[in-house]
Amino acid sequence: MEKILVSSRGVNLFYDSARVLKDITFDIMEKQVTALIGPSGCGKSSFLRCINRMNDFIPSARVEGEILVGGSDIYAGGVDVIALRRNVGMVFQKPNPFPMSIYDNVAYGPRLHGIKQKDRLDDIVKQSLVGAALWDEVKDKLKTPGTGLSGGQQQRLCIARAIATEPEILLMDEPTSALDPMATARIEELVRELKKRYTVVIVTHNMQQAARISDRTAFFLMGDLVEYDATPKMFTSPEDKRTEDYITGRFG
Amino acid sequence: MEPVITRKQLEADLTELKRMVLRLGKMAEESISKAIWALKNQDAELARMVLAKDDDIDDLAEALDNACMHFAARFQPLGEDLRAVTSIMHMAVDLERIGDYGGNIAKVAVELADKELIKPLIDIPRMLDVLSAMMSKALVAFDTNNAEMAKEVFAMDDLMDDLEKQIMRELLLLMMERPQRIEQATQLLNVARTLERGGDHVTNVAERVIYILTGKTVKASAFRRPRPATPYAHKEHEER
Repeated sequence: MEKILVSSRGVNLFYDSARVLKDITFDIMEKQVTALIGPSGCGKSSFLRCINRMNDFIPSARVEGEILVGGSDIYAGGVDVIALRRNVGMVFQKPNPFPMSIYDNVAYGPRLHGIKQKDRLDDIVKQSLVGAALWDEVKDKLKTPGTGLSGGQQQRLCIARAIATEPEILLMDEPTSALDPMATARIEELVRELKKRYTVVIVTHNMQQAARISDRTAFFLMGDLVEYDATPKMFTSPEDKRTEDYITGRFG
Repeated sequence: MEPVITRKQLEADLTELKRMVLRLGKMAEESISKAIWALKNQDAELARMVLAKDDDIDDLAEALDNACMHFAARFQPLGEDLRAVTSIMHMAVDLERIGDYGGNIAKVAVELADKELIKPLIDIPRMLDVLSAMMSKALVAFDTNNAEMAKEVFAMDDLMDDLEKQIMRELLLLMMERPQRIEQATQLLNVARTLERGGDHVTNVAERVIYILTGKTVKASAFRRPRPATPYAHKEHEER
């Protein structure tokens, strides 16, 4: 049974007076992978960052409309943004492990949220690394720097770090664009696993990747949500001519 | 990394696939029309030529199938390109089958070349005319990206059914009059049935053309006159 987890209602995003998202309305389903596609500058990454209020860091950014996560508007007054970001984890384009050990990278979030007991942290670190399909590769060198890992391993470390706080939602902003094909394949495999426990929203420039790993796909163009549908439908017979033109490489 | 789809290369390759489909269609059409011509004119020589060409049609269909797989591997097509390449693979099967039908009819033509025909052949060549027109329309629609033209093929299939029934009635009468005619009449019935099946395959091709162009799956029956349940109704399912 499909259940809505994130609901975007008439979302507009402005950077100063420039409107970069126009009236975005759609629902993201729980424990599914939703891919956001579109040419550079279409607003897909901006929308992704609205879901955990990352745009708050940009002084000129202003959001109108509502985004409901689990039924509550995350832009309403009095929302605990720290708690929101614990619930909505994020993985970025370039792997960005903190300059600390593998263990400390993963334990960082839980510690920040007040967990101090060693055995509990050990457990969280192990479970998170297992969940990110990295445990077997690093279990004997947890005290070595996270920056010493390969690019693909670093990205999985970032995923482990993101899931260590037990979020409901994982946002991924082009998580494989800096990785080689093998490392990309491992992340894609991992995403399929992750959706058993998490709701994944992924921005990707690689349409074959969106076709491979997502359940639903949203196509953005110049700030508009042009089309949103089940992924097989989007990549075989989309309704909108602009979607068709984009996925067949006629522009973008 | 931006996905780099080399549209130019993709289109060049897709055009080549289309060219192969058109060539296969032309060969299939020639096979079946020459076979009927040979049957009508009792020309065993021509019938044997049709049979000799059968391998060429099979080879081209196989080459087209391979080319489609290479295309899919090279471009990982999506959207209309994906619909085109998968549809072309189906069309290759339908067109090759029509070519085979030409071979089947040519075998009958060889057998009947030195026998006295129980009747002059009129409606069978007429069926061929309709079939050829259907094929030409379906292939031109494919070549020129014309979904409306493809839809016109569907109604023509009604005419094929009418002609087949007419032939059947006529041959049944001839058989009832003289049981000695049964062998040849049965062969001619098979020829009519074969042409009618050819029409079904052309209809499949037209459906595919519409799917490529619109992304919508259409049923030919929606464009044909409603048909009452007949003893031959099972035929439709057979071909699906």
